[in-house]
Amino acid sequence: MSLAAEAFVSQIAAAEPWPENATLYQPLREDQILLSDCASSLAVQAYLRMLGLPVRVHCRANAEYMSPSGKVPFIHVGNQVVSELGTIVQFTRAKGHSLSDSLDDVQRAEMKAYMELVNNMLLTAEMYIQWCDENTAAEITRPRYSSPYSWPLNHILAYQKQWEVRRKMNAIGWAGKSLEQVYEDVSQCCQALSQRLGTQPFFFNKQPTELDALVFGHLFTILTTRLTSDELMEKVKSYSNLLSFCRRIEQTYFESQDRDSQSGALDFSKGPSLM
Amino acid sequence: MAAPSELFCWKGSWGLPSVDTDSLIVLAYARFAGTPLKVHKISNPWRSPTGSLPALKTKEDGSFSQPSKIIIQLRKQKYNADYDLSAKEGADTLAFISLLEEKLMPALIYALWIDPKNYAEVTRHWHAENICFPLNFFLPSRMQAQQLDRVRLMRGNSTLEAGEEAEKELYSDALECMNLLSQRLGSNRFFFGDSPSSLDAYVFGYLAPLLKIRLPSSKLQQHLTALENLTTFCSNILSLYFPDENQERIGHPASNVQEGSNFDREPYKRRKQLLSVLVAVAAMLGYAFLTGIVAIEHVKEEGLTGNTTSTDLNDEEE
Amino acid sequence: MGTVHARSLDPLPMHGPELGVQADDLDVGETEYEPQQEVLENRDVVVQHVHIDGLGRTKEDFLTYEIADVFRAKNLIDVMKKSHDARQRMLRLGLFRQVEVVIDTSHGEDALPNGLDVTFEVKELRRLTGSYNTMVGNNEGSMVLGLKLPNVFGRAEKVTFQFSYGTKETSYGLSFFKPQAGNFDRSFSINLYKVTGQFPWSSLRETDRGFSTEYSFPIWKTNHTLKWEGVWRELGCLARTASFAVRQESGHSLKSSLSHAMVIDTRNSPILPKKGALLKINQELAGYTGGDARFLKEDFEIQLNQRLFWDSVLSASLWGGLLLPFGDKPTSIADRFYLGGPTSVRGFSMYSIGPQSEGDYLGGEVYWAGGLHLYTPLPFRPGRGGFGDLFRTHFFLNAGNLCNLNYGEGPRAHLSRLAECIRWSYGAGIVLRLGNIARLELNYCIPMGVQSGDRICDGVQFGAGIRFL
Repeated sequence: MSLAAEAFVSQIAAAEPWPENATLYQPLREDQILLSDCASSLAVQAYLRMLGLPVRVHCRANAEYMSPSGKVPFIHVGNQVVSELGTIVQFTRAKGHSLSDSLDDVQRAEMKAYMELVNNMLLTAEMYIQWCDENTAAEITRPRYSSPYSWPLNHILAYQKQWEVRRKMNAIGWAGKSLEQVYEDVSQCCQALSQRLGTQPFFFNKQPTELDALVFGHLFTILTTRLTSDELMEKVKSYSNLLSFCRRIEQTYFESQDRDSQSGALDFSKGPSLM
Repeated sequence: MAAPSELFCWKGSWGLPSVDTDSLIVLAYARFAGTPLKVHKISNPWRSPTGSLPALKTKEDGSFSQPSKIIIQLRKQKYNADYDLSAKEGADTLAFISLLEEKLMPALIYALWIDPKNYAEVTRHWHAENICFPLNFFLPSRMQAQQLDRVRLMRGNSTLEAGEEAEKELYSDALECMNLLSQRLGSNRFFFGDSPSSLDAYVFGYLAPLLKIRLPSSKLQQHLTALENLTTFCSNILSLYFPDENQERIGHPASNVQEGSNFDREPYKRRKQLLSVLVAVAAMLGYAFLTGIVAIEHVKEEGLTGNTTSTDLNDEEE
Repeated sequence: MGTVHARSLDPLPMHGPELGVQADDLDVGETEYEPQQEVLENRDVVVQHVHIDGLGRTKEDFLTYEIADVFRAKNLIDVMKKSHDARQRMLRLGLFRQVEVVIDTSHGEDALPNGLDVTFEVKELRRLTGSYNTMVGNNEGSMVLGLKLPNVFGRAEKVTFQFSYGTKETSYGLSFFKPQAGNFDRSFSINLYKVTGQFPWSSLRETDRGFSTEYSFPIWKTNHTLKWEGVWRELGCLARTASFAVRQESGHSLKSSLSHAMVIDTRNSPILPKKGALLKINQELAGYTGGDARFLKEDFEIQLNQRLFWDSVLSASLWGGLLLPFGDKPTSIADRFYLGGPTSVRGFSMYSIGPQSEGDYLGGEVYWAGGLHLYTPLPFRPGRGGFGDLFRTHFFLNAGNLCNLNYGEGPRAHLSRLAECIRWSYGAGIVLRLGNIARLELNYCIPMGVQSGDRICDGVQFGAGIRFL
């Protein structure tokens, strides 16, 4: 979002309270959504639940194209459309809701840095495994990504997206990595997160912050998604404090509030549909 | 240990050991860890063993290119500047490096390569002067295209163009990042305790070019100079670990360097102008003679001295 | 280079006409063109040979059909008329830059006393012609490069390629056209294209990449075209402030459709006709040959012109259309109809009538529009006989309606919906005719029946285009 648009949005946003009919859009849950998109969506949902702001989840096949920045998820609040967790955090802050106000400067710097760590390493690793590993791409990613479209558009779109992601990997220097190295990076990232979390309930002691939402979104999705190999899941499972962290957040924010399968992180174990 | 490895990196200018961020990172880390390295400062990426700079060439294990891979290799050789860090500090290192790469790197690339004024006056000029002929004609523009592509892919915006909007977006992220770094550094000398680590190398690599390279238009530079602890941090590292670069420049204060470079440009400019005019005139004359528009006739003047040659300019075509 | 082809009186291949020799007793006329008042008309002649000089890559058998008629001429005037017709037909093929006819008496051993030789001297078009234009408009400049290859394989096949490179969008089109030998009205063409368009009235950007094949043929007085088209459509928002309804339409879709169009055109000119009528009916069925979009689309256009006293023309036109979706998917904004603007219901802004959301017009599934025009020459007729003839004043009355139907209700309910909330306007203006293709209008309009949500252009409105209500 450009700076001017942000300022404009903040002004408008500050004026109105959070409406009842706020909606979050993501790709189709059963057939289309991919690991990375699901993680990002879950992170936003967790964040909004932590703030206590109600949001409904709508699944649309063209959610990626509807989004103003091309990334999912995005929320439609009032008559504004905001996408990606970073911008959504700013948006909610402008409306007066925030989780990280009580942090001091050093802690805030660390929080932002760790959020970038998740984006830089975990998210990129997820994208790599989905699109650059030929096995996963052929068996899971391409069929899922192209499922709403008819022939030959489905192949064109899937290959186009794959080419784009590979170019990005090239530009940031991940193209030369092997799958093993990527798993190593994931392990390192999880180790860093685990170190930072230590034995605390949340990353910054008693209160959850957007960092907790982001980490939960990614780790929970990795733990409950079946890919062609279980190695990714195993890497995360080896850190027990991260496991209990995910369980704790799931229990606090997802099970206790509503039980319907619409927004439930409960039946997230996709099992056969991703295999 | 075995014979020292060789490091190929970009040349330095403006008081920096190298003008390229990645090279600076590797050089700084090597100095922090006390690695004996044979450093080759070159300005032709094609001469490096991997085709890009920086590159580490080891005797047994081959060559490596990106800073992260080079640092891992150096650690394998037991030159580890992060030895004293606690696990949490190690985690923080990873996090802050990610912050730098996501928020500061695009803005830095924009300021050096994409901003039109900076690119034309500083970056392209430096590369054109320092890369050898004939690569200096096309390599800078190719590098610029690659860097623009890279920023576009990193930000996920394939229509990003040099302009106010892109500048604002990238710079706001970068300014925030610098503020966060400043807050994290506080009043410490280095990020973790009293001895520098790899995070210090990374921060130095990104901030030092902003500090030292004089860019005509840069809000980033202004903001950085306002953050005193970061400027002290960079100058500290330069004076402690790269004292020889500073000494070279001590005798040449900034204004002299400016004039010097202007003066250097001048005779070349004149020479180039003269040369191009001569070439043009020669081409025209050559064409005229070859097509017969102009012909030299021998006219024997009777009654006068023996062989007088006079040039007759005919305007007719033969 | 010229190949001389001699045609004799032997029967021609395929549909060659049957020929008979006319043997009459005539004087041998050496000089047919002499202005003697001798009844040349009555003189019976026989066309013995028809030559075509100057052929390069054109295949002779293809031209046979055009010149076949010349052999049937019975007398001199007939020969001249028929060879003129043949010349027109050969020029229409688009193969030749120039065709000249030379009629001469027969020479040679088998020359009859009243025999004639007709020679067509042709100059073929160059194998490849290119064109380069720059266009400026709508905040965008573009460079258009065109390549044309007429007569690629020798039988009037034409390949054209057009490439437009603009500051914002690029588009291209490649098409191959082949008429049937002997019957130029039947033709077959294949097109491949990529077109981008920006529609500010809907805040929509559309990129179409498509492939189509079509076949046209005449039946009696009507012209029919059958077409199959496959289009990959990409829709996007033009601005961040696009309404959510338009944002919901963003994305990719594939349309594969069969369509049929019928045209009967008896007007004397497509622009500002003085008499005649036009009927166009178009139907399109999408979805049964693949693709995501499924619908049936019908639309028609009727125009009647009648010349009145004093060189003025009364013209009435009626347009209408219906889009019927199949299945439960809603229709796409790119398929719906739009109404309003200087080329349809004047007095309203471009395509700014009908259902809208936050200022973006979404189009409708059914519409009708009618217009009644009176064209008169300019008052006091300045520049008569020259420039002034290109202008006309016109008085108009336009009306129309655009809405979405609830297909569950019966036709009576549909008709009543179309009849309520009619937008209409009236006014006067000047029309300028551009060649035979386009016209410019400058009108003063008074819109009426404006519904909430419509955007009007009260007062002076300028319009340029090809197809006007």
